[in-house]
Amino acid sequence: MSQTPSPIGLHKQLDAIWRTPPGLARLSSVNHTILGKRFMALALLFFAIGGLLSMLIRAQLATPNSAFLGPDIYNQIFTMHGTVMMFLFAIPMFEGFAIYMLPKLLGARDLAFPRLTAYGFWCYLFGGSILIIAMLAGVAPNGGWFMYTPLSSKPYTPGINADVWLLGITFVEISAVTAAIELFVTILKMRAPGMALTRMPLFAWYMLVTAGMMIIGFPPLILGSILLEMERAFHLPFFDPTRGGDPLLWQHLFWLFGHPEVYIIFLPAAGALSTIIPVFAQRPILGYRAIIAAIVAMAFLSFGLWVHHMFTVGIPHLALAFFSAASALVAIPTAVQIFAWIGTLASGKPRWDIPMLYVFGFFAVFVCGGLTGVMLAMVPFNTQAHDSYFVVAHLHYVLVGGFVFPMLAAIYYWLPHISGRQSLYRLSIPAFWLILIGFNLTFFLMHLTGLMGMPRRISTYPSNWGWDWLNLLSSVGGFILTMGFALVLADMVLQFRFGARFRRDPWQAGTLEWATATPPPSYNFAAIPHMDTRADQLRPARIGPTLAGGDGYLGFARNGEQETLAVDMMSGDAEQLIVLPRRSYLPLWTAMATASFFLALLFKLYWLAPFGALATLVLFLCWPIGLGSKSDRGPIDIGRGLAVPPDVEAPDNVTVLANRTALVMNGTLFASLLFGGLFLLVVAPNWQGSSAPTLPLWAGALAVVASLSAAGASAMAARRPGSVLPLRAGLVAAIALQVLALTLLALSMGALGDPTGHARQAVPFVTLGYAALHCGLGAIMAAHALWRHAQGYVSARRRTELVLARLWNGYAGGVVVLALGLVALLGLNGVAP
Amino acid sequence: MPLVRLVAGFVIWSAGFVVLYAVQALGCAYGWGDWHRPVLIGLYLLALAPLSWLAIPARAGAEEGPLHFAALWANRAALLAAVLIFMPVTFASLCV
Amino acid sequence: MFKPVALGATPLLLTGCTGALSTLDPAGPRAANLATLWWVMLYGSALLFALVIALFAMAYLRPAWVARITPVQWIVGGGLVLPIPILILLTGTALVLGEQLLPRGDAPLRFGAHAERWQWNFTYPDGREMSDDVLHIPAGQPIDVAVSSADVIHSFWVPRLGGKIDAIPGHENLIRLEADEPGTYWGQCAEYCGPGHDSMWFRIEAHTDEDFTALMEGGQ
Ligand code: HEM
Ligand SMILES: [Cu+2]
Ligand SMILES: [Cu+2]
Repeated sequence: MSQTPSPIGLHKQLDAIWRTPPGLARLSSVNHTILGKRFMALALLFFAIGGLLSMLIRAQLATPNSAFLGPDIYNQIFTMHGTVMMFLFAIPMFEGFAIYMLPKLLGARDLAFPRLTAYGFWCYLFGGSILIIAMLAGVAPNGGWFMYTPLSSKPYTPGINADVWLLGITFVEISAVTAAIELFVTILKMRAPGMALTRMPLFAWYMLVTAGMMIIGFPPLILGSILLEMERAFHLPFFDPTRGGDPLLWQHLFWLFGHPEVYIIFLPAAGALSTIIPVFAQRPILGYRAIIAAIVAMAFLSFGLWVHHMFTVGIPHLALAFFSAASALVAIPTAVQIFAWIGTLASGKPRWDIPMLYVFGFFAVFVCGGLTGVMLAMVPFNTQAHDSYFVVAHLHYVLVGGFVFPMLAAIYYWLPHISGRQSLYRLSIPAFWLILIGFNLTFFLMHLTGLMGMPRRISTYPSNWGWDWLNLLSSVGGFILTMGFALVLADMVLQFRFGARFRRDPWQAGTLEWATATPPPSYNFAAIPHMDTRADQLRPARIGPTLAGGDGYLGFARNGEQETLAVDMMSGDAEQLIVLPRRSYLPLWTAMATASFFLALLFKLYWLAPFGALATLVLFLCWPIGLGSKSDRGPIDIGRGLAVPPDVEAPDNVTVLANRTALVMNGTLFASLLFGGLFLLVVAPNWQGSSAPTLPLWAGALAVVASLSAAGASAMAARRPGSVLPLRAGLVAAIALQVLALTLLALSMGALGDPTGHARQAVPFVTLGYAALHCGLGAIMAAHALWRHAQGYVSARRRTELVLARLWNGYAGGVVVLALGLVALLGLNGVAP
Repeated sequence: MPLVRLVAGFVIWSAGFVVLYAVQALGCAYGWGDWHRPVLIGLYLLALAPLSWLAIPARAGAEEGPLHFAALWANRAALLAAVLIFMPVTFASLCV
Repeated sequence: MFKPVALGATPLLLTGCTGALSTLDPAGPRAANLATLWWVMLYGSALLFALVIALFAMAYLRPAWVARITPVQWIVGGGLVLPIPILILLTGTALVLGEQLLPRGDAPLRFGAHAERWQWNFTYPDGREMSDDVLHIPAGQPIDVAVSSADVIHSFWVPRLGGKIDAIPGHENLIRLEADEPGTYWGQCAEYCGPGHDSMWFRIEAHTDEDFTALMEGGQ
């Protein structure tokens, strides 16, 4: 590194390391820029599909007594519209946006786990395809996007339709789970040195909170889907009221996810607004610290609102009051942000440009949606408006106002970054007015239709209720809206073809992503900058050329390795050198194996499913092969006179943090399961006189002892990484003990009594099954550590594998204790009220 | 850890929320009768105690910084949320 | 799936917000309360909406008017001082109103509404089934309806008399309604329940006290 190459030479060297070759090799790409673009492109395709479906809905409802679509088809269409828009458009769209943007905003060369990004993308593609193919085959889900039981249970949906939803969506959810963990870890650990947490651009704060919400919010839905699929496939009762289940449990689990979900969709969009508005106001955002407090408040409050979707199910007024008050109060942090944005404009020197047009659209539409949201939070009014077209209007004002308009602003703002060309302007303005007018015509009238008594999800209506004109106008509005979207699409295509090229930073922005060349190179930054100020007040046009010249951290190509930095979570001091894994087909193969598991369940080839799961597991175990290091390297030069250890030698590296995060997520799933069991015990009908589960006491006690000892043994191994014998003995003991615990738990599952008879047996059955599974995982993690140790990847300083074994075995031990506790509680005589 | 402080108030708020909601349901299911509301009010006050403490600015000389400011206000928001959202335990119908 | 209802006989009102299923055309004290709540919220919301849009517009069109507002004023004024009192007042009122609407206190006549895909079966307070798919109630006094379901979730909604309540298998829910005048009030299933959901209407006939007593006795 004595003589620095020219910027072009440096580019060539780095690109040779980071690039994805053309042709079939694209399938092996793990690069966040490429995958972010793929996520967004696919999400936009699904948006088009969802939009097409909404046109069918509006065509059907334009006139009374319409015979265009019958109820059977209509039900599939509105279900698919909602499902596609929520799960296949909105969530993946912001994920893709964050995947593309975050490393560039934070000053990293990629995300923490590039192969996981790719795996997530394939899961999204395959899972989404299952849904679309099912729709083309005429067996799409038809239970509405929230799939209420018992309508979605076997007796009332005997066909494959509900399974398509449960399995397809769970498959897609894998990509949300991986993205959440990865984004969370990346934001906390992989920033440019000097970027303390309090110097992060607000978008990173928004995404940090969003990722945290996903970590807590998605498990209830995943659990609910698993339970409902088990009820459908294997007759285990959880939701069937005749066998001790309760349809309300599904509603709780679904909305425990479903309400935070709306905020999970809104927050990234708000993050984009907080980035765009200061640029056009030509001043820094107002109230940086207040906004951080507001999004934290919003994140937590949004978990205390879910019952506002259940105000009419017959819950006591006190409980409704909690949720009603929380739903109203969540408007306060929203108001803080709205006024911070307006204040930023008012106290700056605001200029107009296309993105601001859409920001204006956001204000006009979203504020309306927020106000109707407060109305719906009032229980008495809700009993009239719930499940009527008023709600359809409200939810579109919130989702289109709070997500689609900001995303359109973001497209106009950031598409030049992707294309390297500037917007053309000629189509964007008429497109905006078509969208704004079309949207309001379509949906404003729906408030009225709803108040005049039109329930949602009806395929047709007679002409005597007074809804005819409103519906016709709504449909006209819908088609105007679609024309607007078509113009935006055309505008995007034209920009790629004819837009004028520019050098850097066309908007005079303040954030780091504009310091890359455009379109961005495969490695983002030839050198990683040092941050001395808040990272939303930079001069990208000035920094960019410096970095391209290799002036900064890691401004060189070394050993052909993909190097980037990790920092201390809080202070942002450079802490570790991360060597990222290279491109690989493994994510694709693993996702295919996962697909075989889901398809086997979908087509009821239950003998095949375990093989699919096994193949997935084996392939995942292949991921670490060749990663890591067989010798201690000590601190390594990273430029600017600094040297830091490689991440495998750091005690708190991204892998450990990611596993901790995954365990929190997993723990939320388990907590939801425990909640489900207790809920059924206290609330569900038909528990009086049910027979208690029978558990051989010795087996349970022994399983607890074995699993806790395994946790202890693996902890001991982790504490003595240097000495071979205790380490190996500890890990072998952990494996043996977990296998013993697993066997005992399996025995107990068999002894419980018929799990298909009553929820009182079914709940212990799955709880013990979950515990047994985690004993197995504990054993596997211990075996993995043993294997890596045998290969020489583990040393006194390189002990990540040991820490992981300790974490997972400790988790398994805790789960066994709690699981048996729940079973014991359900076994007590006379607990059912 | 300032990050812990940032979420501390709302973690307590969440715990209070879950406990109150659970006690409301348990009291109805198992027929606690006249004891039900006093227990709820007791828990309400119990939740307010740590939240009030968090809402007071750190004593002079303690760490300062943007995150502490954000944490202080997040904790104050949590206190306000607890006061208002849990308030219905004092009057709303428990089991109807 | 033919429904024996005389659709032609329903009042054909297209003007304004009236209509046989309109929540804004209340025909009883409970629905009237809900409609009042709606109008109050509508006017309040319109004001708040106008305020936000006006501030946004001023930032561009009359920057001098808003340039002097300080950051703290924006955030504390707009984010806290403005919404908090409004929300407390509104939520408090709604909760008090909600308490008054609850079906409790001295129990009035209790009717039954049992949903089954895709129709409603009604019973008199004495348990007798109503023969004609119509729920007969007395006008001018509050009545309770116990709502239940035989299969999937439905929802019992008579917009002109009051809000809705879900019919959930395994549970029984109560709702209190009241009609001011004798007459016909239309209702429908509001929770999606499968392919027949869009035709799951029903009718409530409210009678004068004498007529209702005669009906009750007539069946015995
Ligand atoms: C492109 C313009 C759109 C139009 C014209 C439209 C139209 C509609 C209509 C008419 C319904 C009611 C169907 C029924 O109840 O029978 C509906 C439901 C729904 N829409 Fe949209 N929509 C649009 C965009 C979106 C977007 C962007 C999202 C979300 C990001 C979305 C999410 C939903 C959801 C979740 C439902 C509920 C589905 C259900 O009841 O299961 N829509 N839409
Ligand atoms: Cu919600
Ligand atoms: Cu129904």
